[in-house]
Amino acid sequence: MQHSNASGASIERSVELEAGRGEVWRRITEGRALSDWMGGVVTIDPRPGGRVTLHEDGAPLVWGTVEDVVDGRRIQWTWRTDDGLPTMVEFEIDPIETRTRLTVRETLLPWTVSGPEVNNLWGGSTLAQGSVFLAA
Amino acid sequence: MMNPHQVFSALSDQTRLEVLARLASSGPSTATELSAVMPISRQAVSKHLTALVQAGLVERNPVGREVRFSFHSDPLDDIAQWASDIGTGWDRRLENLRRSMQ
Repeated sequence: MQHSNASGASIERSVELEAGRGEVWRRITEGRALSDWMGGVVTIDPRPGGRVTLHEDGAPLVWGTVEDVVDGRRIQWTWRTDDGLPTMVEFEIDPIETRTRLTVRETLLPWTVSGPEVNNLWGGSTLAQGSVFLAA
Repeated sequence: MMNPHQVFSALSDQTRLEVLARLASSGPSTATELSAVMPISRQAVSKHLTALVQAGLVERNPVGREVRFSFHSDPLDDIAQWASDIGTGWDRRLENLRRSMQ
Protein backbone atom coordinates (compact mmCIF):
# COMPACT_ATOMS: atom_id res chain seq x y z
CA MET A 1 0.00 0.00 0.00
CA GLN A 2 1.22 3.48 -0.76
CA HIS A 3 -0.35 6.71 0.32
CA SER A 4 0.48 10.35 0.69
CA ASN A 5 -1.08 13.27 2.47
CA ALA A 6 -0.75 17.02 2.76
CA SER A 7 2.19 16.84 5.15
CA GLY A 8 4.26 14.21 3.40
CA ALA A 9 4.46 10.85 1.75
CA SER A 10 4.58 7.42 3.30
CA ILE A 11 5.33 4.04 1.78
CA GLU A 12 4.20 0.92 3.62
CA ARG A 13 4.91 -2.75 2.99
CA SER A 14 4.14 -5.90 4.99
CA VAL A 15 5.33 -9.47 4.87
CA GLU A 16 4.33 -12.59 6.82
CA LEU A 17 7.30 -14.56 8.03
CA GLU A 18 7.64 -18.20 9.07
CA ALA A 19 9.20 -17.34 12.40
CA GLY A 20 8.36 -16.17 15.88
CA ARG A 21 8.51 -12.64 17.15
CA GLY A 22 11.92 -13.04 18.76
CA GLU A 23 13.64 -14.22 15.61
CA VAL A 24 12.06 -11.45 13.51
CA TRP A 25 13.10 -8.91 16.11
CA ARG A 26 16.67 -10.17 15.88
CA ARG A 27 16.59 -9.83 12.09
CA ILE A 28 15.67 -6.14 12.30
CA THR A 29 17.85 -5.06 15.22
CA GLU A 30 21.21 -6.79 14.67
CA GLY A 31 23.55 -5.31 12.10
CA ARG A 32 24.81 -8.62 10.74
CA ALA A 33 21.30 -10.07 10.47
CA LEU A 34 20.01 -6.88 8.80
CA SER A 35 22.93 -6.97 6.35
CA ASP A 36 21.85 -10.46 5.25
CA TRP A 37 18.60 -9.19 3.73
CA MET A 38 18.83 -5.42 3.34
CA GLY A 39 21.16 -5.60 0.35
CA GLY A 40 24.01 -3.73 1.98
CA VAL A 41 26.12 -3.55 5.09
CA VAL A 42 24.07 -2.36 8.03
CA THR A 43 25.36 -1.17 11.37
CA ILE A 44 22.93 -0.38 14.15
CA ASP A 45 22.94 0.43 17.82
CA PRO A 46 19.30 -0.44 18.57
CA ARG A 47 18.74 2.04 21.35
CA PRO A 48 17.18 5.51 21.22
CA GLY A 49 19.97 7.84 20.09
CA GLY A 50 21.95 4.94 18.61
CA ARG A 51 23.52 5.27 15.18
CA VAL A 52 22.30 3.34 12.15
CA THR A 53 24.01 3.14 8.76
CA LEU A 54 23.42 1.33 5.47
CA HIS A 55 26.07 1.04 2.81
CA GLU A 56 24.94 -0.53 -0.46
CA ASP A 57 27.40 -1.13 -3.30
CA GLY A 58 27.51 1.86 -5.60
CA ALA A 59 25.13 3.90 -3.46
CA PRO A 60 25.84 6.75 -1.06
CA LEU A 61 26.02 5.96 2.64
CA VAL A 62 22.69 6.24 4.41
CA TRP A 63 23.10 7.30 8.02
CA GLY A 64 20.86 8.24 10.89
CA THR A 65 19.68 7.79 14.44
CA VAL A 66 17.44 5.32 16.22
CA GLU A 67 14.50 7.32 17.56
CA ASP A 68 12.31 4.86 19.40
CA VAL A 69 12.40 1.22 20.47
CA VAL A 70 9.64 -0.91 21.98
CA ASP A 71 11.43 -4.15 22.68
CA GLY A 72 10.23 -6.99 20.49
CA ARG A 73 7.51 -4.88 18.87
CA ARG A 74 8.69 -1.72 17.17
CA ILE A 75 11.84 0.13 16.17
CA GLN A 76 11.96 3.48 14.46
CA TRP A 77 14.85 5.44 13.04
CA THR A 78 15.46 8.50 10.89
CA TRP A 79 18.11 8.51 8.20
CA ARG A 80 19.29 10.16 5.03
CA THR A 81 22.14 10.36 2.57
CA ASP A 82 24.25 13.51 2.59
CA ASP A 83 22.23 15.06 -0.23
CA GLY A 84 19.09 12.92 -0.16
CA LEU A 85 15.66 13.18 1.36
CA PRO A 86 15.45 12.53 5.11
CA THR A 87 13.02 9.78 5.99
CA MET A 88 11.73 7.88 9.00
CA VAL A 89 11.78 4.09 8.89
CA GLU A 90 9.46 2.18 11.23
CA PHE A 91 9.32 -1.58 11.69
CA GLU A 92 6.37 -3.13 13.51
CA ILE A 93 6.01 -6.76 14.50
CA ASP A 94 2.65 -8.50 14.92
CA PRO A 95 2.42 -12.19 15.85
CA ILE A 96 -0.11 -14.15 13.79
CA GLU A 97 -0.46 -17.58 15.42
CA THR A 98 2.90 -19.27 14.69
CA ARG A 99 3.90 -16.69 12.11
CA THR A 100 4.86 -13.05 12.37
CA ARG A 101 3.85 -10.09 10.28
CA LEU A 102 6.54 -7.48 9.74
CA THR A 103 5.43 -4.07 8.52
CA VAL A 104 7.84 -1.41 7.35
CA ARG A 105 6.83 2.17 6.76
CA GLU A 106 9.13 4.81 5.30
CA THR A 107 7.96 8.41 5.58
CA LEU A 108 9.38 11.61 4.15
CA LEU A 109 10.42 14.04 6.86
CA PRO A 110 10.16 17.82 6.57
CA TRP A 111 13.05 19.63 4.99
CA THR A 112 14.42 22.67 6.62
CA VAL A 113 13.58 25.49 4.25
CA SER A 114 15.54 28.65 4.81
CA GLY A 115 16.70 31.86 3.25
CA PRO A 116 15.27 33.20 0.00
CA GLU A 117 12.88 30.27 -0.43
CA VAL A 118 10.95 31.28 2.67
CA ASN A 119 11.06 34.98 1.85
CA ASN A 120 9.62 34.36 -1.59
CA LEU A 121 6.85 32.00 -0.49
CA TRP A 122 4.16 34.63 -0.10
CA GLY A 123 4.23 38.03 -1.81
CA GLY A 124 7.86 37.50 -2.63
CA SER A 125 9.96 39.64 -4.90
CA THR A 126 9.33 37.53 -7.99
CA LEU A 127 5.60 38.10 -8.00
CA ALA A 128 5.91 41.70 -6.85
CA GLN A 129 7.87 42.38 -10.03
CA GLY A 130 5.43 40.34 -12.08
CA SER A 131 2.48 42.30 -10.73
CA VAL A 132 3.72 45.42 -12.50
CA PHE A 133 3.24 43.62 -15.80
CA LEU A 134 0.05 41.90 -14.71
CA ALA A 135 -1.51 45.26 -13.93
CA ALA A 136 -0.95 46.45 -17.50
CA MET B 1 14.05 17.28 -6.73
CA MET B 2 11.86 20.05 -5.35
CA ASN B 3 11.26 20.12 -1.63
CA PRO B 4 8.40 17.59 -1.50
CA HIS B 5 6.88 19.22 1.55
CA GLN B 6 6.60 22.48 -0.32
CA VAL B 7 4.84 20.55 -3.09
CA PHE B 8 2.41 18.86 -0.67
CA SER B 9 1.80 22.14 1.12
CA ALA B 10 1.02 23.84 -2.19
CA LEU B 11 -1.41 21.05 -3.08
CA SER B 12 -3.14 21.07 0.31
CA ASP B 13 -5.22 24.17 -0.51
CA GLN B 14 -8.45 23.66 -2.45
CA THR B 15 -8.15 26.94 -4.35
CA ARG B 16 -4.57 26.25 -5.38
CA LEU B 17 -5.65 22.82 -6.59
CA GLU B 18 -8.32 24.49 -8.70
CA VAL B 19 -5.80 26.98 -10.10
CA LEU B 20 -3.53 24.09 -10.99
CA ALA B 21 -6.34 22.06 -12.54
CA ARG B 22 -7.38 25.03 -14.68
CA LEU B 23 -3.81 25.60 -15.88
CA ALA B 24 -3.44 21.91 -16.64
CA SER B 25 -6.68 21.77 -18.64
CA SER B 26 -6.76 25.22 -20.25
CA GLY B 27 -3.07 25.80 -20.87
CA PRO B 28 -0.96 28.86 -20.03
CA SER B 29 -3.01 31.70 -18.55
CA THR B 30 -2.53 35.09 -16.91
CA ALA B 31 -3.67 35.78 -13.36
CA THR B 32 -6.34 38.07 -14.81
CA GLU B 33 -7.70 35.30 -17.02
CA LEU B 34 -7.77 32.87 -14.08
CA SER B 35 -9.55 35.33 -11.80
CA ALA B 36 -12.19 35.90 -14.49
CA VAL B 37 -13.27 32.26 -14.25
CA MET B 38 -12.77 31.78 -10.51
CA PRO B 39 -14.66 33.34 -7.59
CA ILE B 40 -11.55 35.06 -6.21
CA SER B 41 -9.71 38.29 -6.94
CA ARG B 42 -6.72 38.60 -9.22
CA GLN B 43 -4.62 39.43 -6.16
CA ALA B 44 -5.71 36.18 -4.49
CA VAL B 45 -4.96 34.25 -7.67
CA SER B 46 -1.52 35.88 -7.80
CA LYS B 47 -0.81 34.86 -4.21
CA HIS B 48 -1.71 31.25 -4.94
CA LEU B 49 0.32 31.29 -8.15
CA THR B 50 3.35 32.45 -6.17
CA ALA B 51 3.08 29.43 -3.88
CA LEU B 52 2.67 27.12 -6.87
CA VAL B 53 5.68 28.67 -8.62
CA GLN B 54 7.77 28.27 -5.46
CA ALA B 55 6.75 24.60 -5.28
CA GLY B 56 7.81 24.16 -8.91
CA LEU B 57 4.28 23.20 -9.95
CA VAL B 58 3.77 26.30 -12.09
CA GLU B 59 6.14 28.10 -14.42
CA ARG B 60 6.07 31.85 -14.82
CA ASN B 61 6.66 33.10 -18.37
CA PRO B 62 6.74 36.83 -19.12
CA VAL B 63 5.35 37.40 -22.62
CA GLY B 64 5.53 41.01 -23.70
CA ARG B 65 3.73 43.08 -21.07
CA GLU B 66 1.92 40.16 -19.46
CA VAL B 67 2.93 37.12 -17.46
CA ARG B 68 1.54 33.75 -18.38
CA PHE B 69 1.56 30.85 -15.95
CA SER B 70 1.69 27.20 -16.99
CA PHE B 71 1.37 23.86 -15.23
CA HIS B 72 4.67 22.04 -14.62
CA SER B 73 4.30 18.38 -13.65
CA ASP B 74 7.95 17.55 -12.89
CA PRO B 75 7.66 17.82 -9.07
CA LEU B 76 4.71 15.40 -9.09
CA ASP B 77 6.60 13.02 -11.37
CA ASP B 78 9.64 13.24 -9.07
CA ILE B 79 7.58 12.40 -5.98
CA ALA B 80 5.88 9.50 -7.77
CA GLN B 81 9.32 8.21 -8.79
CA TRP B 82 10.63 8.57 -5.23
CA ALA B 83 7.65 6.63 -3.86
CA SER B 84 8.06 3.95 -6.51
CA ASP B 85 11.80 3.57 -5.82
CA ILE B 86 11.29 3.34 -2.06
CA GLY B 87 8.48 0.80 -2.46
CA THR B 88 10.45 -1.31 -4.90
CA GLY B 89 13.44 -1.30 -2.55
CA TRP B 90 11.38 -2.57 0.38
CA ASP B 91 9.64 -5.18 -1.81
CA ARG B 92 13.05 -6.58 -2.72
CA ARG B 93 14.39 -6.49 0.84
CA LEU B 94 11.31 -8.05 2.45
CA GLU B 95 11.31 -10.78 -0.18
CA ASN B 96 14.97 -11.51 0.71
CA LEU B 97 13.97 -11.74 4.36
CA ARG B 98 10.94 -13.94 3.69
CA ARG B 99 13.01 -16.38 1.61
CA SER B 100 15.74 -16.53 4.22
CA MET B 101 13.19 -17.60 6.85
CA GLN B 102 11.38 -20.32 4.87
